[in-house]
Amino acid sequence: MNPNTPLILKRLLTVSVLLAGALLAAMFLGLSMGSSGTSFQAVYTSLFGTGDDSVLGMIIWRIRLPRVILAALVGATLSLGGLVFQALLRNPLAEPYILGISGGAAIGAIIGILMGLSRFPGVSLTSFTGSLLTLLLILGISTGQSILKKNSILLSGVMVNAFCSAVIMFLVSLTRDAKLHSIIFWLMGDLSLGTIQQTGMLSLLLLPCFILIFWLSNTMNLLLMGREMAQTMGINIRAVTLTLLITTSFMVSATVSQCGLIGFVGLVIPHFFRLLLGPDHRVLAPACILGGGAYMVICDILARTLPNQGEMPVGVITAMIGAPLFIFLLKRSGR
Amino acid sequence: MLKSLIVFTWFFLVWVALPLHAGASDRIVEDLLGRRVVIPENLSRLVALAPNITEIVFDLGKEKMLVGVTTYSDYPEEAKNIPKVGSYIHLDLERIVALQPDLCLAIKDGNPIDTVMRLEALGIPVYAVDPRNLESVMQTLVRVGGLLHAEDKAEDIVADMRKRISRVDAMVAYVQKRPRVFFQIGVAPIVSIGSDTFIHELVVRAGGKNLAEGPVSYPRFGREQVIGLSPDVIIITSMARAAAFEEIKSEWSQWTNVPAVRTDSIFIQESNLFDRPSPRLVDALEVLVKLIHPELFEETD
Repeated sequence: MNPNTPLILKRLLTVSVLLAGALLAAMFLGLSMGSSGTSFQAVYTSLFGTGDDSVLGMIIWRIRLPRVILAALVGATLSLGGLVFQALLRNPLAEPYILGISGGAAIGAIIGILMGLSRFPGVSLTSFTGSLLTLLLILGISTGQSILKKNSILLSGVMVNAFCSAVIMFLVSLTRDAKLHSIIFWLMGDLSLGTIQQTGMLSLLLLPCFILIFWLSNTMNLLLMGREMAQTMGINIRAVTLTLLITTSFMVSATVSQCGLIGFVGLVIPHFFRLLLGPDHRVLAPACILGGGAYMVICDILARTLPNQGEMPVGVITAMIGAPLFIFLLKRSGR
Repeated sequence: MLKSLIVFTWFFLVWVALPLHAGASDRIVEDLLGRRVVIPENLSRLVALAPNITEIVFDLGKEKMLVGVTTYSDYPEEAKNIPKVGSYIHLDLERIVALQPDLCLAIKDGNPIDTVMRLEALGIPVYAVDPRNLESVMQTLVRVGGLLHAEDKAEDIVADMRKRISRVDAMVAYVQKRPRVFFQIGVAPIVSIGSDTFIHELVVRAGGKNLAEGPVSYPRFGREQVIGLSPDVIIITSMARAAAFEEIKSEWSQWTNVPAVRTDSIFIQESNLFDRPSPRLVDALEVLVKLIHPELFEETD
């Protein structure tokens, strides 16, 4: 470990505690607000008071809670995924979907929906398979030494994604009636059907990935200093790169298979925190997990409460907030 | 073999165990999909998960029980004032639960099965119906009527529907020619209706020949295909209003060798009469007879 460990530990703790507070506040807000009305007091009494099983209690614990946790997990995964990909590919525009994860998952999901499978576990499994297959394809395309060349991965990812969108368009053009709605909602990102079992299963998959990436965060710092530097520090670049790529792709495809394509989170959150906290990944990784989760929970609150009737797909909100925010951040960092 | 035995036993146990959850005064009924549903004896709060179910509940005179309907439940007019629970395809679970319904009425095609399962997991019974043509609409009326204690009303409506249907049957029984009908439910792309749709049934029953019949429910057509089929009648249902219709009509009108153009038999119809299988299908049937066989009405005048 570095000699300056105590200092970094202090920063890490401060940032984590602050952002964990923000995440908890966002989650409290998420539990309090919904299409059937807003009540902070109900959540408070439900949390700390005597256990009652009123209708509002049922809504809060069995409808809103799984959804809020799902949103936090998805936001954390996408932000952390963005952070890792931006470090690995050394490209500020890299995002978790870059390796064709979104495209492959979308094809898998659409095939699942067309086959009439239920959302969980049916469609989740087909989309998970789809994204893992494209990941293997891309790793296959860029095998050998070129795995370490950031551009070859980036380019094959972009191309595989483009090919996948063509297949998606083809499948959508074949689809009619009711199924089209589910497909389009899935493509726009949808958190509405999360159940506590699904969310629990997802967190079991994601938490080890979070820990592994956090454990490798100092290695990411060294990777960013350049290959020679990293090698002299005794890092097996190839092994670390592959581990990070596969872990990130795995956790991103797990979330995508649950709630569709949610864009811009993986782009905006890492940039925001890098601007705010500096380039140290040991601080950035937990910041992205906690802050990305909070951001997503808030986006989901907006998606649920903004429309007068029904709800918006959360992907629409993240893109509408994310794109302008990203431009703003770019202009700030350019100065 | 063993596996299927286990599965069978499991289903059997669920079947036997289900009534144990029911209170003393509850009824256990089988819905139109063969699922067993526990219906509370005093039904007073109902959520209709599709516009045609809303119509059926209104027809049965039980609209006071409706505490929630779907976004596009716009018929009859009073339905617009009932709280909305999202569209039938994307239901807002939270709003439904907040309305504390005793029962939700769902349709097989349309309401997502995941949402139905979650409603049941949250303790809200869901009774599923499957109205997809004249016969099943009447069956739905009788079953929902039984559920809501409106058996007599349901029987009356069904009797009236049957009377009107047989009147139409009698009218078209001796027609010489069955006009070739192209029924267009989408403008861009041009979408028509296959043999397993209720509109197909209406067109055939009204004495027409559906040019798009076939195994595909909602086949797509290119313009040249439609012209090649040389329809005698083109019926377009569209949510687009009058102005747009003139445009669509004038587009077809340039193909003067299409029989429907020569005889000026291109019609536009309000789509919500034709897009949901409700008791108004009989109204739709009567409209279609007038469009497809205008000569029958000239004679009787």
